[in-house]
Amino acid sequence: MGKKTIDWERLGSIIEERKKEKWGLIPLLQEVQEEFGYIPPEGIKPIAEALGLYPSQVQGVITFYAGFALEPKGKYVIRVCRGTACHVKGGRSIFRYLKRELGLEEGQTSEDYRFTLETVACLGACFLAPTMMINRTYYGKLSPPKVSSVLAQYGKERMEDK
Amino acid sequence: MEDITLKIDGVNVTCPPGTSILDAAKAVGIKIPSLCSHPELTPIGACRLCLVEEASSGRVFASCVTPVAPEMVIVTDSDRVQRHRRNIVRLMMAEHPESCLVCSKGNRCELREIAAELGVGENKLYPMPNVKNFEQVNPFIVRDLAKCVLCGRCIRVDHELVVVGAIDYNLRGFECRPATLHDLPLEDSSCTFCGSCVSVCPTGALSTKTPEFVGTPEKESISICGFCGTGCSLMMGSVGEHVVEVNPSRISGSVNGATLCVRGHYGHDYLHSKVRLGSPLLRTGEEWKEITWDDALELAATKLREIKENYGPASLAFLGSSKCTNEENYLFQKMARVVLGTNNIDSGGYINGRLAVQAVWKRLGNTLFRKPLSTIGEADAILVLGADPTQSTPVAGYYIKRAAKNGLPLIEINPRKTGLSFLSSVRLEIKPNGDLAALAAILKYLVEKGWVDQGFISQSTSGFEPFSAKLLALDFGLLYKNAGIDARGIKQVCDLIKGKRISIVVGSGVLRQRIAVSIMNSIVDLALITGSMGERGGIYILAKDCNEMGAWDMGSAPDFLPGTVPVFDAQGRRRFERLWKAKLSPDPGLDVVRIIEEADKGRLKGLYIMGENPLRSLPDKELIKKGFEKLEFLIVQDILENETTQMAHLILPGAAAAEKEGSFTNMEGKIQSFEPVVAPPSGAMPDWDILDRLMALLGQPRRLGSISRIRREISQVVPGYGSLADGIGGWAGTGEVRGSVGPEAETIRIPFSEEILIGARPEDGSYPMWVVLGTSSFQMGCGTRIAKSRRITEYCPEGFAEVSVQDCDRLGLKHGDKIIIESKAGSVMKSVRVSTDQPEGVIFLPWGFDDNNATLLLGLAQFGGPNFEGWNSCRANIHKA
Ligand code: SF4
Ligand code: SF4
Ligand code: SF4
Ligand code: FES
Ligand code: FES
Repeated sequence: MGKKTIDWERLGSIIEERKKEKWGLIPLLQEVQEEFGYIPPEGIKPIAEALGLYPSQVQGVITFYAGFALEPKGKYVIRVCRGTACHVKGGRSIFRYLKRELGLEEGQTSEDYRFTLETVACLGACFLAPTMMINRTYYGKLSPPKVSSVLAQYGKERMEDK
Repeated sequence: MEDITLKIDGVNVTCPPGTSILDAAKAVGIKIPSLCSHPELTPIGACRLCLVEEASSGRVFASCVTPVAPEMVIVTDSDRVQRHRRNIVRLMMAEHPESCLVCSKGNRCELREIAAELGVGENKLYPMPNVKNFEQVNPFIVRDLAKCVLCGRCIRVDHELVVVGAIDYNLRGFECRPATLHDLPLEDSSCTFCGSCVSVCPTGALSTKTPEFVGTPEKESISICGFCGTGCSLMMGSVGEHVVEVNPSRISGSVNGATLCVRGHYGHDYLHSKVRLGSPLLRTGEEWKEITWDDALELAATKLREIKENYGPASLAFLGSSKCTNEENYLFQKMARVVLGTNNIDSGGYINGRLAVQAVWKRLGNTLFRKPLSTIGEADAILVLGADPTQSTPVAGYYIKRAAKNGLPLIEINPRKTGLSFLSSVRLEIKPNGDLAALAAILKYLVEKGWVDQGFISQSTSGFEPFSAKLLALDFGLLYKNAGIDARGIKQVCDLIKGKRISIVVGSGVLRQRIAVSIMNSIVDLALITGSMGERGGIYILAKDCNEMGAWDMGSAPDFLPGTVPVFDAQGRRRFERLWKAKLSPDPGLDVVRIIEEADKGRLKGLYIMGENPLRSLPDKELIKKGFEKLEFLIVQDILENETTQMAHLILPGAAAAEKEGSFTNMEGKIQSFEPVVAPPSGAMPDWDILDRLMALLGQPRRLGSISRIRREISQVVPGYGSLADGIGGWAGTGEVRGSVGPEAETIRIPFSEEILIGARPEDGSYPMWVVLGTSSFQMGCGTRIAKSRRITEYCPEGFAEVSVQDCDRLGLKHGDKIIIESKAGSVMKSVRVSTDQPEGVIFLPWGFDDNNATLLLGLAQFGGPNFEGWNSCRANIHKA
């Protein structure tokens, strides 16, 4: 996987912007996450310095929230549900199918930074089980063909077609 | 607010609002199990073991984070609460690995203790040991985070008390552990290895690396750290006569509380170094022979007596130690003055700027500025000059960092960044030795603006008018130039201290400077002008050695008697003559440098050194060697074989602080007594005992024979040390006449300086760079003792030179390259550390490493004399080796 280059200027201006806020850490991290798709680990020190925090503290907040990532993620983050309802309805095979289709293991990101594959405990849409979410969109009552067609919408051809 | 009364287990408890239920219970002797709470740390309610039940509502809550409320009825051990507690412990045990039996926390593990108390044995849960890396690469701390119970004590010590921030919780849930930034090993993080987190960890997750030993020490005894002048209180664990572990003592009110620094925590293994001296040794030519104590003392007495008879008392000199106890320094100077009749006595504190400190005594009285470190944060701002306390006196540094973290403005005047800089509000990056000009500029600015404490000035000072007139006549432009700063910096500083009382903290960057005396005088002027004296604010001098202050108080100096009474003060001298029944000379004796010069001239015949290593600590080793070779008799009393013992005719093996009874006076003026933790190596003897025996042989009527008798004499003789008699100690100077100068004391007026110097030297083209000398926390003084610590030398075996990025770029240097640093006096080779902490043209070189060869760059000259260039810095040139 190629190393992402960081736009330091952009990072600097986000920090500068949020520095004035009293409880600026979370909004700052959210903005960085949004902007870069992850929080560059090299950014922890300058963020901590600007807010008068210890770098270890900032790291602690980042790794506590699932919404923040220290590694670059794909453009599309796929979260497959592993909750009980989905499990009963065959969520496991949906996950297996996704892994094969994407050629990714859990937590991995594709070389081209297109997809990241993750799992979650419950998406809160159990009536649609089995479910998954791509960025902010829910997909329910999944079956392998349905998964394939969803992936196709995001620009992933089926393996066989290649 | 009114006190609150509640009922805990049927007992009525009254306490101030805001008290936690846990503390309220403790106050009446009810013990609630707890794991994450710690008396010095903010409660966080993480472990839930301290659950209690409120009788009326049946609510269950964590008592460490719940404040008392009126009318509360609390039950601390209901069945329900007990059940919950047991379940929590069972869950903790289920997650715990099975290496309990060989854990170095052993019987001190608080988790085990609580499990035993609650009767949790077999937990009947499916064990799910949390497997984590076992980290033990560094020589200090072993991290076995599988045993972590996530109490967060380590994190809170690190954030709240030590103010480093090396670790915090990382990840969540089962994965969660305290971790460094990027989860790197401690040695690759900002960790200072102070070990404070290790001492508070309730389990075996963090422990001290002690390869020789696993388990619980047989005995724990309290002692005082023998390294820097902070005077931390230690709990030393021993097995047999071996100190195997050091932790902060749990004595309340100690200067260090739950903290220590790397030296105190891990450097005491030097005690068991192979080069400890264990028998008196006599040298004839190149031959060393072990002799008995009787023969050794007899010989020492004979030689001292002979030299005095043949050449007169002025041919003898004594070099005492800022690392030896008060009792020993007292006896030593008494031996010099009373028994042998000479004022030729000095101590190692000379090079730490004795004359600069004395300059302050002269103006303020010698105890006024000694205040508890806890008062630093009580002023309105802190100004730190020429010091990196986070390296030199780390625990004193924690006080400053805590105050700054809590929002007190912190100003630094220093040529380079320090461990405080991340918290400072303003940093004046002066040229090396620009302190005096910077202070003059600050004083001038304040006076011009009228930002002075008129009330204090008119009531407690004199000479303000002429002083301010002289200030106004100075030229800002010249001051800025000499200080290497601009108007903006001075404005920032003055805006910040306007109307404030300041704690002024001074370190050896000032105290060892060429013009240290003038700087100290300006510092006093600044304290006067801002009214920073008395209740809030004042001058804090960071003493480098454990008993620097005490040695001076005991009169280990050529020009003053115990209690810092000048030898020329006829009245004071007469008092001592009466008490000691002896005639005392009114003429100051020789200081360390003069001792060496006189030896070299052949006029000094006999020298007795106790606990100092001038051949390592002072510049110009060749001259010292030459001088010592000319001595008829050189007695060296020490604990380790070192550069100076090698030149002795007679070596007397003494004892380290942990091996004897005695007392030290720390930088706060706190007298702290201690008892032996272990015995000295067989054949060695406590230094006071050696002196006491020798003085009897030299004709003192009787031996004092015990520390308590020596203390009794000190408490009767030395002004300010009355409290030593009870054997516990107290504060030096209690009841001293000039101890209470403040706005309310009208009788004493402190004069402003009569002249204002702004000192600067012309640049020297052939030496375009500056070397700034300073302390590393992995060294202590000249390094005689700490270089024998196996742990410390393993971690930091050799010295280095910090060179700015700009200079590295210019000279094509990278990390680890060897460079030659050349000054007028000599040259040294060091490896480069590329650093962003200093500006271009400034190199930082720590003392102590590589046989303290940094001294090669300096010259030996009398402090403050015409040839003295200062021992804090020098001009230099560098090139790649
Ligand atoms: S050893 Fe000291 S600096 Fe290092 S993590 Fe522990 S408390 Fe912090
Ligand atoms: S390492 Fe020790 S002190 Fe730190 S959280 Fe774990 S158990 Fe508590
Ligand atoms: S701060 Fe000084 S006295 Fe305290 S442990 Fe460190 S070296 Fe010893
Ligand atoms: S279990 Fe899958 S959405 Fe709830
Ligand atoms: S001691 Fe109260 S929650 Fe840990």
